[in-house]
Amino acid sequence: MIRLQVANFALRDVTPGSEGPLLPPAGRLFTIVILCLSSALCVLASVSPSFADDALPVSGRLDLRGVEALDRDSVKEDPSLEGRIKLDTAGPEWRFHSWLEGGLDGSVKRPARDHSLLKNYDEVYQSNTPYLEFKELYVTRSAGDLDLRAGIQRFAWGRLDEYPPNDRLNPWDYTQFLRKPLEDRKIGVPSFSATLNEGDWTYDAVLVPVFVPYRLPLPDERWAGSSIASMIAQTLPNATITPQEPDLPGRKPGNSNAGLRMKRVGDIEWALDLFHGYDPKPVFRTTALSINPRGGAFVVDPGYVPDFHKIDVIGMDAAAVRGDLSIRAEAAYTFHRYLNIRRELWGYPAVPAPGVLPLNPIIEQKHDTLDYGIGADYRLFEDGLLTFQAQQTLTLGDVDLLYERKVETILWANLKAGFMNQKIETNLNLAYNPEHGDRMTRANAWYVFSDTWKAGVSYAAFTGPAQSLFGRFSRNDQVEGEFVFAW
Amino acid sequence: MNKQYNVQSTKYKANQSCPLLTPDPGRPIPNQRSGKPMLFALSCTLYSVLCTMLFAPPAFSMNGREVYEKVHEVRSRALDRETEATMILFDKGGGKRTRTLTEYSKKADPEAYKVLVVFKSPPDLKNVGFLIHAHTFSDRDLWAYFPEYKRIRRIPNSSQDDSFFGSDFSYDDFGGPPNLDDYKFSIEKEEVIDGKPCYVVEVTPKIYRKYTKYIAWVAKDLWIHVKIEYYQDKDLYRTGAFTDIRIIDGIPTPFRIDMENKKTNHRTELTIGSIRYHTHFPDDLFSQRSLERAGK
Repeated sequence: MIRLQVANFALRDVTPGSEGPLLPPAGRLFTIVILCLSSALCVLASVSPSFADDALPVSGRLDLRGVEALDRDSVKEDPSLEGRIKLDTAGPEWRFHSWLEGGLDGSVKRPARDHSLLKNYDEVYQSNTPYLEFKELYVTRSAGDLDLRAGIQRFAWGRLDEYPPNDRLNPWDYTQFLRKPLEDRKIGVPSFSATLNEGDWTYDAVLVPVFVPYRLPLPDERWAGSSIASMIAQTLPNATITPQEPDLPGRKPGNSNAGLRMKRVGDIEWALDLFHGYDPKPVFRTTALSINPRGGAFVVDPGYVPDFHKIDVIGMDAAAVRGDLSIRAEAAYTFHRYLNIRRELWGYPAVPAPGVLPLNPIIEQKHDTLDYGIGADYRLFEDGLLTFQAQQTLTLGDVDLLYERKVETILWANLKAGFMNQKIETNLNLAYNPEHGDRMTRANAWYVFSDTWKAGVSYAAFTGPAQSLFGRFSRNDQVEGEFVFAW
Repeated sequence: MNKQYNVQSTKYKANQSCPLLTPDPGRPIPNQRSGKPMLFALSCTLYSVLCTMLFAPPAFSMNGREVYEKVHEVRSRALDRETEATMILFDKGGGKRTRTLTEYSKKADPEAYKVLVVFKSPPDLKNVGFLIHAHTFSDRDLWAYFPEYKRIRRIPNSSQDDSFFGSDFSYDDFGGPPNLDDYKFSIEKEEVIDGKPCYVVEVTPKIYRKYTKYIAWVAKDLWIHVKIEYYQDKDLYRTGAFTDIRIIDGIPTPFRIDMENKKTNHRTELTIGSIRYHTHFPDDLFSQRSLERAGK
């Protein structure tokens, strides 16, 4: 594994056509060190007798998937074969956990410029197939009421589904955005965490010393959705659009992400959440639109680059059971969040032409926002759980130039039902944004053949304006078939 | 359920009318003023006593509530334990699925009990956990943990009779004993099952449950269920058989439980691989932290 990673990084340097800024050598070295250490931990854990309290428990799954796009103009997708292997060992004081994922990703249309196999923490655009990624890889040391953990971790703070506003520690992978559930969208981050349990109280502290950017799909991929790049692609069908890789914030202690959480268990469970660090929500700055004729085609730099800003968040969440309802609520106040103004104000021409065109240099605005929401589970019938949730974002200050309204609402409803003693599992998910009238419908049904085999069919449909949350994927209606083998 | 019971039944017909009290139309009713009123009254009293002795419901040595107090006591003693179990789910088409799990439980003071159940297989359920904090025998907090989501969800008590992760057991079957005040008990008869003399007790909930009553065969010498039938009104919908009963640390323990849903013809066989009593687990084991760590 270590040899493989070194080979990957070496390959990146010599790959012809490598474009975009690379991290400074110190940053890249840091990433290599993190990944090498992680792999060494993995090897150590599997051979060390101190971990081997139980037999080495390894589990995994293979997932074969095919997507049929329902919209004729939609980007097509090849079949995917992805797998994951989990390894857990536990001793009295030390525990080790690893979750490695990888395979052939049919949504990738052209490999990202570095062709690396192992996903890294240095790039926003890194669509690759085949690929490998450590979703989680950490070691835990327990001492009494204290748990100390180091490695690649994913966290789940807050209580709401889909968009928990206090859940900021893991950036998201948007390459298959609304196709994947929240937990699969999260990118594991190299981090240290400490958890102290004192009776009904639990205190969590997290430090993410290595900045990890979110991941975006390349413009010609299925889940890129409606964007400036897709508009250019419509006008210039034979263009190769390659967005610029951003300069990431320097990897120094001052640029760490950190979070504190204090939770109390009781009749009403509640928690106070604090976060300081980079906003995991994508926002862009502009450079210049560049269209270069090359042969009979065009090479396009769309002129917008992912940008990163620090935010501070203070939030609360709570959960309680009242009668037949399991209720949860959450609120978070975010200081100094940057939001993009409407796309039509970015300075793009109606008809792009070859050359270099400067764009509006100020497309970001700083606002404070308040996110809040409430959700509940209701047992509709045996093995039938209805979940509904209402969530709003209030943007403070003048929002005239933003696409977002002063108040943005997302209403969710989800019906999860099992039949034949859970041999058939179904899920119907509806989401609606009343401010823009965009909505999403997702449905899936799984048939469990045995403990190891199951097959499922999914359907997804999106409607709404091009810049809205769900409407930007209005050409992504699809039916998907999936076979899963798990062991 | 394949188990064949060897049942010897002692039948009683309660409320059967007494022929000696039925007036004979051909016989004149004695006139109390005939000069022999005392003799007539005495005769009636003797007849009544005789009829009561012969035809009234049997006088059991204990009533239904007392039987269940014994059951409650045994189940409470069995609460301090660690169990490794396998559930095999059989559908009517012959397909089967297997779930293995570890259950930890303890008596809790001042609370009633705490239970933690962690699945070890199948892969989809691995490390999924279920935690109960019973403040009293009728007031419980329930949580479930799904490692893929890394989230603990609270579950309303209304789910207690629902299928436990696709099996024919309910969430309630994995809890401790119930609050006896929430039920009415009456002994119906006595039967011998597999050589074990049993009280057959009809148990009717006073609170809303998925079933309207259940009939339980309680072994007289062990005070545990050996057979149970759940009814929705008059319809039998779930049956259970408790076999391979062994005495572990003085506690009678069925090592095999077969539960069958009569409406769906789906059945679940639960077998205990190992069990330890008097474990005296620390409270830490029954915390949300422990739920997230699969009890480790």
